[in-house]
Amino acid sequence: MDIEASDLIVGLLMTALGLIGLILASGAHDDEMYVFGLSMAAWAVVFVFGLMRRHFDRADAAHATLRARGGRHE
Amino acid sequence: MQFRHDVIEKNAFLFLVLTLITVAIGGLVEVVPLFTIETTVEHVQGVRPFSPLEQRGRDIYVREGCYLCHSQMIRALRDEVERYGHYSIAAESMYDHPFQWGSKRIGPDLARVGGKYSSEWHYAHLINAQSVVPESLMPHYAFLAETPLDTSDLQARLRTLRAVGVPYTDDEIANALADLNAQANPNADPAALLKRYPKAVTVPGNGQAVTEMDALVAYLQVLGTMVDFADPANEHLQQ
Amino acid sequence: MSEVAAGAVAPGTVVRAARATVVDYNDDVVKKFIIAAVFWGIVAFLVGVYLATELSWPQFNLGLSFTNFGRLRPVHTSAGIFAFGGSALFGTSFYVVQRTCRARLFGGAALANFVFWGYQFFIVMAALSYVMGFSQGQEYAEPEWHLDLLLTVVWVAYAVIFIGTLMKREEPHIYVANWFYLAFILTVAVLHIGNNIALPVSVFSAKSYQAASGVQNAMIQWWYGHNAVGFFLTAGFLGMMYYFIPKAANRPVYSYRLSIVHFWSLIFLYIWAGPHHLHWTALPDWTQTLGMAFSIMLWMPSWGGMINGIMTLSGAWDKLRTDPGLRFSVTAVGFYGMATFEGPVMSIRDVNALSHYTDWGIGHVHSGTLGWVSFITFGALYYLVPVLWKRSGLYSARLASWHFWIATLGIVFYITSMWVAGIMQGLMWRAYDAFGFLQYSFAESVVAVHPYYVIRMSGGVLFLTGALIMVYNLIQTVRSPATAPHAATPLPAGLAVAGE
Repeated sequence: MDIEASDLIVGLLMTALGLIGLILASGAHDDEMYVFGLSMAAWAVVFVFGLMRRHFDRADAAHATLRARGGRHE
Repeated sequence: MQFRHDVIEKNAFLFLVLTLITVAIGGLVEVVPLFTIETTVEHVQGVRPFSPLEQRGRDIYVREGCYLCHSQMIRALRDEVERYGHYSIAAESMYDHPFQWGSKRIGPDLARVGGKYSSEWHYAHLINAQSVVPESLMPHYAFLAETPLDTSDLQARLRTLRAVGVPYTDDEIANALADLNAQANPNADPAALLKRYPKAVTVPGNGQAVTEMDALVAYLQVLGTMVDFADPANEHLQQ
Repeated sequence: MSEVAAGAVAPGTVVRAARATVVDYNDDVVKKFIIAAVFWGIVAFLVGVYLATELSWPQFNLGLSFTNFGRLRPVHTSAGIFAFGGSALFGTSFYVVQRTCRARLFGGAALANFVFWGYQFFIVMAALSYVMGFSQGQEYAEPEWHLDLLLTVVWVAYAVIFIGTLMKREEPHIYVANWFYLAFILTVAVLHIGNNIALPVSVFSAKSYQAASGVQNAMIQWWYGHNAVGFFLTAGFLGMMYYFIPKAANRPVYSYRLSIVHFWSLIFLYIWAGPHHLHWTALPDWTQTLGMAFSIMLWMPSWGGMINGIMTLSGAWDKLRTDPGLRFSVTAVGFYGMATFEGPVMSIRDVNALSHYTDWGIGHVHSGTLGWVSFITFGALYYLVPVLWKRSGLYSARLASWHFWIATLGIVFYITSMWVAGIMQGLMWRAYDAFGFLQYSFAESVVAVHPYYVIRMSGGVLFLTGALIMVYNLIQTVRSPATAPHAATPLPAGLAVAGE
């Protein structure tokens, strides 16, 4: 599986942010920190899902193009 | 000149560095000397850290955005001094993290509001401003009187303030909750409180729990009262 | 060519015609930011109108904690400056840097999407935090420490993308618009970090205390605050102007030499202007004087930018009649000139003695934010939306015209009512009666400005109405039948420096 450098770096960054969000929410002293932490974790999950989806969409599109041109099957 | 600029325009890194240098100069010249020139913050008697209740009140003042309508900076202008009292000096806000000098007067300046009105007036005004000042545009803050003051992180707050330069002593931090409760209870003995925080004003409270309103009123009642401008020792205030 | 003689093109520059190869630009992120800008614009204007209503009739504060003026005002200022203005800057800077560098955005689609969603997340969280009762208590820097850190991460990513794209450019000269965008990105980063140094009470607490206090905090805040205006709201939008006016007018920028001089002097002088927010206060005299002197000098490079922008229409003035988007952009530059004259005037200590704390300041801010920032953005939006969505033009030039006149009327109501209110307040506060006592109580000045607050609110309603017309127009443009991809029009030689 060939992951683009950009996807990997951003994916790792978002994972870190997601974990930070969960940690902050877990010990939150006030409503703001709780809401912020959970929201950031949720955003991270959705975003990383999005990265994965786009990765596979690109792979599928490239695969379909190959096949349309009569190229080799993977 | 054009030729030389060509060189900068074709080199992104050079452009970046030159830009950073250019924008750094003004800030350094205007900010750094304020920390190094001794006369910037006058040496006067009386300025002290806020008491725990006053500081919590200040935190509420900051979070509610009171500074957006009320200034706390009397300018050295004749009409202003006549309306509000002695012009504000830098020393009076030296422990204000953040400063709340304000930029706009939708309501009057509050720099020396301490002691001008009774605490009961403040409660009435904060709950429904129009009941005491019919022309007022101020929102109603009744919800502050209904919200108990969260004191769970009181000492942490004072310690954080100490870390940024407010000289709270260990004694003051250890007695923070006791001092806070004493300042919201007219029946309590204020001796210890006043020893640690001279001129701290005890607010009436509601006889049950300390509310956010109590804290805010305690803060308002100390504003502008710390420095005694009648004292000859404070006459020599130069910049 | 006349443009070369006028210094519009540096001697020795290879003048290229439009290339046959088409770069695969990342327009997806540009479109996202454009949509966000339009959305947040409406939010900002709506909250603004609501605030104006609260100031006209305080019952509208509703007695609730989350709807009162004190908590809502930062929602309006953040929405206007950072959400609306910021999204417009992100979007247009990504569009402009790609086209003028002939390079796809650096960092890949993932990083661009991170910047977009990260910024939107920051905006939403900040607004939510204000109404929940969390604020650092400093104007335009209200978000608490955790949000400041998040913004820093997003901003670094933005800088990486923008600078990375510059570094991989195919066009050797960095086009002037990018000088301004770059200065904006770098300086805002420095300002943000410098003014947000604070210690949280605990890592699990949203509350923090600023490291600086009193007079030092005041100076740092207004070093930041004035340069939020100077770099976020001015330099960044000058970048927008330097691309979209020449493009829409199909004319080269009036003077390359002038752009050099005014760029460097602007970014140098602006930084010093902060103390004019602190005249007659406990800030030392020497600092106030420096702030005043540099604010007055700042008039020159500001008008340099205005001249360069307006005179670019040289030879194409009639386009003002036919192209309503361009009309917005050029009018914006006119308001920019007005505001950058008014600002230096208000920076004079004796003028400021009257104007400080009054509504004159509010009037000045809004002539800049509505007249300059919003109008130059509207001009860019009217240009960009058809281009990005590959339509032959706007759904209705007539509606854009209506937008222009209604919004302009709104601005006129706003600023004139605030001039009157502000000067009246200043005069009332300093008025003495025959016996030598202060003539007016503060409350009397509040009553006196009420009618002007209502007029100001009406001005805001007009401005919002115009913007809603724009939203309809843009949506209809996007929904209209797709036409052939937007053909690259061959550029006059002077614009070849910009590439594309």
